[in-house]
Amino acid sequence: MKKFLQNKKLLSTFIVIIVIFAVLGGSVSLRNKRNAPLLVQSLGNDIVALGSRIIDVPVGFISGGLNNAHEILNAQDENNHLKRQITNLGQTKVRNASLEKENRQLKAALNLKDTLSGYILINASVISRAPDTWSDLLTINKGSSSGIKKNMAVMCGGGVIGRIVEANAASSKVELITTTDESANRFSVQADVANGKTVHGIITVTANNQLAFTQVVDGRKLKAGTRVYTSGMGGNSPKGLLIGTVTQTTRDSFGLSDQIRIKPAGDISDPSVVTVIERQVAN
Amino acid sequence: MSIFRKWVLAIGLFVAIVVDGVCSFYLHQFMDYGSFGAASLILPISVMLIGLFDDTNENEIWLALGTGIVADIYFYGFIGVYAVFLPLSCWICQKIARFLPEIFWARLIVVLLGTTIFVAYSWLIFNMIGIATTSIHGLLMSLLVNQGWTAGFFVCLYWIWGNLAQDYPFLIDLNAYRV
Repeated sequence: MKKFLQNKKLLSTFIVIIVIFAVLGGSVSLRNKRNAPLLVQSLGNDIVALGSRIIDVPVGFISGGLNNAHEILNAQDENNHLKRQITNLGQTKVRNASLEKENRQLKAALNLKDTLSGYILINASVISRAPDTWSDLLTINKGSSSGIKKNMAVMCGGGVIGRIVEANAASSKVELITTTDESANRFSVQADVANGKTVHGIITVTANNQLAFTQVVDGRKLKAGTRVYTSGMGGNSPKGLLIGTVTQTTRDSFGLSDQIRIKPAGDISDPSVVTVIERQVAN
Repeated sequence: MSIFRKWVLAIGLFVAIVVDGVCSFYLHQFMDYGSFGAASLILPISVMLIGLFDDTNENEIWLALGTGIVADIYFYGFIGVYAVFLPLSCWICQKIARFLPEIFWARLIVVLLGTTIFVAYSWLIFNMIGIATTSIHGLLMSLLVNQGWTAGFFVCLYWIWGNLAQDYPFLIDLNAYRV
């Protein structure tokens, strides 16, 4: 012990390692517990985000040009597909308008103001991504000044892609739904079974980075193609946001519970413009 | 202008943080091979190159520490990945540079080794604190993919950081030594 204390290099290394672990543990704890980041942290993040926005303009211009060229090549196929879809669109729009009107009238009759399915949309652009392959974190160009708060759901391409983990004044971090973060809040979801019943569960990620609908009772009743959407029960997201569709139903490795694989509806691989969902009903 | 010259390297590293995030976003879909992917390593490569090109300026270790803290907070929201690796790699690269041949290939080998250690270190930290859960097999496959991308980034960054580190050392105005 005396030799250890007299060896200044060894002692310094030991102290540095302890300091590193203390800073790491402290900052991770702050990240998970605080609803809003520290002022210094928020300011620093917003300054770098401003730089990202500037750099993003020319890079996005080049990338957009390349994407446009690719889309022009696929225009004929896309046109044929849309023509097939458009025949049903008029009827669906009329039906939706009629149902919305009926829904408003029923809510008024029951004196209901906010329900689990009420929400407001906030549109934002993705400006950067965490450089590693594992953490699945994006940075968007809207923050608490636009009404964004921690744990709000984020959508892109017609489905949920993640949730807000940090809201700075002018930028926010989004953790993708495919993250393997053990401390991440999981989406509480539901799906309608063929016999009219509804099954509830949560969304988790399997070992090979695929989405799964877990903690489900009677999960085997779910057929491939069944839509899975948020139930609004978790307290953070509204009801009715599409997560994805069922692709396969299996038992887990212990054979104890059902594991239902889900194909995400949202554009997780290339989300350039996202929509943050602000839940209307009080938590 | 002398103050600006002293801070050119710091501004360059700030731009490197921004470019790292933007490149990661746009190149992400091309960097994935199946369920394995490469990381965008512009920032670690930049700091290692600064250490290899300018082995006498100890201020650059403090600059690397500051850059690491900013990068950690911006990308992850906690401190401990870049804030540890960047100053350590800068210090080690400065030590190595004293006996390493000043040629492209020798520096490339050092940077390839350095980025391998960085990816393994970040994997260890992410698994330790539960931010991400990836198998060792996943790590090893990612390391292989990373080697190719690291070589590409290294070629793009070598002359940029070579010129910046030699002409604009951090907090030193070379014009003060010129007659």
